[in-house]
Amino acid sequence: MSVHTPTADKPLPDFDIVSTYRSILAGDAELTMPVAAIEALVEAIAHSSVSTVAETLALLEHHTAVLKAEIANPISLSAGTDLFQRYLITTLNRPAALNLAPGDDFRAIRNHLLSNGRLFVDRAKQSREKIASFGKHFIRDGATVLTNGGSRVVGALLRRAAESSTMRFRVVYVLSGSESSDTIEGDQIVADLRAHNVPVATVPDSAVAYSLGEVDMVIVGAEGVVENGGIISRLGTYQMGLLAKSKGKPFYVVAESHKFVRLYPLSQFDLPIEQKVLEFRVADDTKGTASKPSEDEGFFDMHGAKPKCSGVNAHDAVDFTPPDLISGIITESGVLTPSAVSEELIKIWF
Amino acid sequence: MAQGITQLAPGLISFLKSLKTTPADPSVEHLISLLKRRQIRNSRPCAIATTALMLRVVGEFKGRDAAKLVERIRQVGRRLTAAQPREVVVGNIVRRVLGLVREVLDDNTGDSHTGSDAGHNTPTHHDSMTRPTLSSSISTFSPLRHAAAEPMDASMTSEMSDSSEFNRRPPLLTSHTSYAPTTSAPLVNSLFGLFSQPDDSNASTPTGAASPDGKSAHSLNLERLADLSRSTNIDLKSEVMDGIRELQDELEQSDEQIAGVALEHIHSNEIILTHTASTTVQKFLLSAAKKRKFTVVHAETYPHDNTATHGILLTGRKRETRLDEDEDPWKPLTAAGIPVYVIPDSHVFAIMSRVNKVILATHTVLANGGLVAAAGAHMIAKAAKEHRTPVVVLSGVYKLSPVYPFDIDELIEYGDAGRVVPYEDGEFVDKVDVEHPLYDYVPADLVDLYITNLGGHAPSYLYRIVADHYHTEDITL
Amino acid sequence: MSGPVEGEAAAPPAVTPQAPNDPAAPAKTDPKETKPADDGASKKPSGAELKKLKQLEKQAKRAQAKAIVPPATQQGGPPKENQKQREQKQSQKKDESRPLPIRRRPSQSNAVPQQQAKKESTRGQKNLGLFFGHLYSQPRQHSMVGASKDVHPAVLALGLQYSSYVICGSTARMVAMLLAFKAVIESYQTPVGTSLARHLTNHHLSPQIDYLRSCRPLSISMGNAIRWLKDLIIKIDPSTPEAEAKRDLVEEIDMFIRERVTAAQKLIRDQAATKILPGDVILTYASSSIVEQTLLQAHKAGVPFTVIVVDSKPLFEGKTLARKLANQGITVRYYLITGASHAVKDASKVFLGAHAMMSNGRLYSRVGTALVSMLARSHSLPVLVLCESVKFTEKVALDSIVGNEVAPASEILSEAERASLLPLEPHLPATHPSKNKAEDKHAADDAKSGPLDVIKWVEGSDNLHHLQVLYDVTPAEYINMVITEYGSLPPSSVPVVHRLSTNT
Repeated sequence: MSVHTPTADKPLPDFDIVSTYRSILAGDAELTMPVAAIEALVEAIAHSSVSTVAETLALLEHHTAVLKAEIANPISLSAGTDLFQRYLITTLNRPAALNLAPGDDFRAIRNHLLSNGRLFVDRAKQSREKIASFGKHFIRDGATVLTNGGSRVVGALLRRAAESSTMRFRVVYVLSGSESSDTIEGDQIVADLRAHNVPVATVPDSAVAYSLGEVDMVIVGAEGVVENGGIISRLGTYQMGLLAKSKGKPFYVVAESHKFVRLYPLSQFDLPIEQKVLEFRVADDTKGTASKPSEDEGFFDMHGAKPKCSGVNAHDAVDFTPPDLISGIITESGVLTPSAVSEELIKIWF
Repeated sequence: MAQGITQLAPGLISFLKSLKTTPADPSVEHLISLLKRRQIRNSRPCAIATTALMLRVVGEFKGRDAAKLVERIRQVGRRLTAAQPREVVVGNIVRRVLGLVREVLDDNTGDSHTGSDAGHNTPTHHDSMTRPTLSSSISTFSPLRHAAAEPMDASMTSEMSDSSEFNRRPPLLTSHTSYAPTTSAPLVNSLFGLFSQPDDSNASTPTGAASPDGKSAHSLNLERLADLSRSTNIDLKSEVMDGIRELQDELEQSDEQIAGVALEHIHSNEIILTHTASTTVQKFLLSAAKKRKFTVVHAETYPHDNTATHGILLTGRKRETRLDEDEDPWKPLTAAGIPVYVIPDSHVFAIMSRVNKVILATHTVLANGGLVAAAGAHMIAKAAKEHRTPVVVLSGVYKLSPVYPFDIDELIEYGDAGRVVPYEDGEFVDKVDVEHPLYDYVPADLVDLYITNLGGHAPSYLYRIVADHYHTEDITL
Repeated sequence: MSGPVEGEAAAPPAVTPQAPNDPAAPAKTDPKETKPADDGASKKPSGAELKKLKQLEKQAKRAQAKAIVPPATQQGGPPKENQKQREQKQSQKKDESRPLPIRRRPSQSNAVPQQQAKKESTRGQKNLGLFFGHLYSQPRQHSMVGASKDVHPAVLALGLQYSSYVICGSTARMVAMLLAFKAVIESYQTPVGTSLARHLTNHHLSPQIDYLRSCRPLSISMGNAIRWLKDLIIKIDPSTPEAEAKRDLVEEIDMFIRERVTAAQKLIRDQAATKILPGDVILTYASSSIVEQTLLQAHKAGVPFTVIVVDSKPLFEGKTLARKLANQGITVRYYLITGASHAVKDASKVFLGAHAMMSNGRLYSRVGTALVSMLARSHSLPVLVLCESVKFTEKVALDSIVGNEVAPASEILSEAERASLLPLEPHLPATHPSKNKAEDKHAADDAKSGPLDVIKWVEGSDNLHHLQVLYDVTPAEYINMVITEYGSLPPSSVPVVHRLSTNT
């Protein structure tokens, strides 16, 4: 819907990529950040008058940089921008792949992108449904599933499983107490599941280890799937992974493949974002506590335009779950082992 | 299974004999009944029987309609797998044969096509735009060629290279492993799928068994297959049959190929623990024994495989294969000068601290790197893990299954309780629930290395081997 | 001081005398010699051949030694060796009890006699030195033949019950032993000129113990009880009249059994039964009397629960347990150890008996226990060990190899299994020694080969060994709780309780 809204009609330097991005996100609650970023970039191209490959790429690079700088946690959206950029480079270099004659290279691609923007969005949403219909097979009859956060993919999967009447399963839902949008989404999923007669227990983060004895499997969503097959996800996922591993429970990640991001974190503190999680203080040091409003979180951002933010607050922070804790990543194209993620990324980047 | 099988008992040998004179349809029935009655069991006999049957089925197929051939194979495959779903290898072979058909078609269409209808179904190998069409433009080369480690066809290489930007990175990407997958992989989808042409969207379905759109995509592919086969002049049947024969060769050679690398994995004076009676493992160890001295500890896998275990150690052959007069006689390990210590299964933990390496045979290997093996394998692998002893699994590629193991328990077969407690002890059997699982599931993280006839692989790499050998649309038979 | 671990006389060191000082040997790989050596495996060389061979060897050795080694050192070596070989040839009977030097000396020089000696000695014990060689000594006593005349008839009978596993289980064996000792003490007469305190232990009790040990190595609990009894006897005031002293001893023994076994078991089962909650699925391995009592007590108390018995060959102790429990109306499932990873999936708690608790917190119990606890641990199931403090020992162990009890290898194959292997006979390799023998036999009396022959095949094939021990050591980290009569404790507190219970 937001694709065709003419937010700005000025040429390249004046196009406000950030506000476009925000309005796209705000306009569709179902949208994921990478797709919103792609949409914003498509629009940027639409609003520009570029006519060569080099110009296009320069334009993209510029907007991507602006966008990443403005958003507090750009990991997820960078999956979209990087993918888009890579796609353009690949196709622009080889128009035949689009089944185009060599002559009408650039125009045709541009047209393809501009005319099919809506399709991309639909496809991204479709992939969530595909994951749901495929991934529900992971939930066996009589199983107890532990999940967290407000991942819409996980929600879709659980709902789909709940709809199939033959299966009885229970859910332990980890909800953090804070009033983040994550929690709102989580509450919605819990309500839906209960409406479908699925027994749901909601527990705080601190009760994960406690509940684990009753749990058969863990399913989580992800903000980004990184190169080594690990995931970036809302704070608390890492500890769930560790606990699940130590108790020998399978730990599945559900993520669309457009969330694969070219990033290779080595540890929790090797993420390209600044997070205000560990803040050491002594008694009189109270000035710094006035934290800035949350800007960004895992899955959607409906706050609209806000001033630039320099860090991510604890309740919107993310952590990195290394691949050795992950049993499988359920994507729309099947179940990948973490090593297969690496291959996917290698294929488009190398 | 063991007792009372006489020379003339129905089994693999009798089936292969009758296959020579019986037409396909009764043979299918015959095999189904053998599978159902468990008169053919274990991966290798099942694979051999299925391949032979497939050869017959394809050989008797009339007409040149590829779609009908695919449907025919599929239908036979469905019946066979339904007869004995736990012999996963039957399904594997059927899928491999289906892949052969697609491959033959693809090779030929690739040659004969002009650019005229390229917009629709040219096998444009570029994965970014054509993931959907990929399904009809299947892998360009036969897994058998991988097996033999032959270089790729020149024509294929060129076809691929001009369609791919990847060839600019020669070291990584000229190898089949990094490219072929995009065309055939069930698990691999291009990340660019999001941007693909709208008219292809129907085919970009998930590969899982559950895909609701799978049917339509599949039928579409069939139409295309039919198109292709009509439009081109190929001897589909004989090429597929050649392919099946190659598959038979692969089955025959896989043990030798695996044994061929034995010296790379066994050093002198090692103490190696293995279990159950597996020809693959015995040949592997025998091959190493030609050059090196080492010691074998053999868990007897009581109660279901112990007879075979003792048999293989005493005579070098399993009981069921002893009917096979053609098989090369080979000596037991002990005759090759290797000390073998037979231990009851309960001793595994006690002895593990002395063991350098665990070598396991397998029933089925799953795409996630886990495996199904004779009962007791899980505790052996776990005990090895606790002692930091490496676990090596030997498996022919034909045992690799593309089916994702949603429910492990479905793969576990339970055997005759009479093997655990003799039926003479009727009172006991009445009162106590005697369980006799025949297989164990061993999760991937307990395995350190897989050795197949293609070489050694980390468990995390198995998804790729699977992707190289099966076609996305064949996963659901 | 005595127990199964060190209970047997140490195996003879059996270092072949020529082994250390023979530097020429490894270098000597004359093809002339290797060939006959290989043949030796398949056919028995005649005496003349042997002699000739040795002659050759000698010559080669001398020639080589001259070239490499200073004459002084080598003179001693080869002749001695040859002498030894000749000895072997002449009296191969001697080799039976002597562990074979096969792995210690890979040199070719004595390959022929070695092979031959091996062939001959297969009637006796096979060399299992690689794993448990240090545990082998003389074969287990299965009859009263050769027992010292001092051995009391009650003890004689008991020994046979031990060796045939009629009385089995650490506690049962200890109690049976004490009861037998009561009879021994009652019929004891102090010889003139000595005191009961001095004579009874050293001269009368010791032969009984030695005999029992020759039937089956002593259990930890037996060792503990013997130590206690000896201590008691030594402390007897020499002035006490003999009849009174004997009466006191017998009473003490009864008291010991009552306190340390009967009462302890009641305390343990009372406590352990409270750990069984409604709906629990209790997994147990093999058979332990205290586990059995606990399960029955909980069942009588009306707690609804089911039991999974995991068992293993060759004793199949679990079968007896399963039957008893089932007869009492408990739902029982029965698995063999190969199915253990399936069994733990359905279980909620694991109850184990013990042969002994080691001072480093490890559990010494029926072989296979470690596997079951390991699997339980990986499924996060609580593992509870029920163990009377009389089974605690100050010994420590890291693995199951240093201390263990070797069971006769022939027990691996049951009668039925042997029978099912019989059809293999025509497929035995042609080189197999027992193949020839079988032919001989056919020629001689045309007898049909029976199950016993299968054992002979196994014994007859070089390099094939059957190996069986009775216990394994479960790491302390697999164990959540040890329930004793003093209460429940973590495995790390075993030495504390052991000290407490022995200092009283």
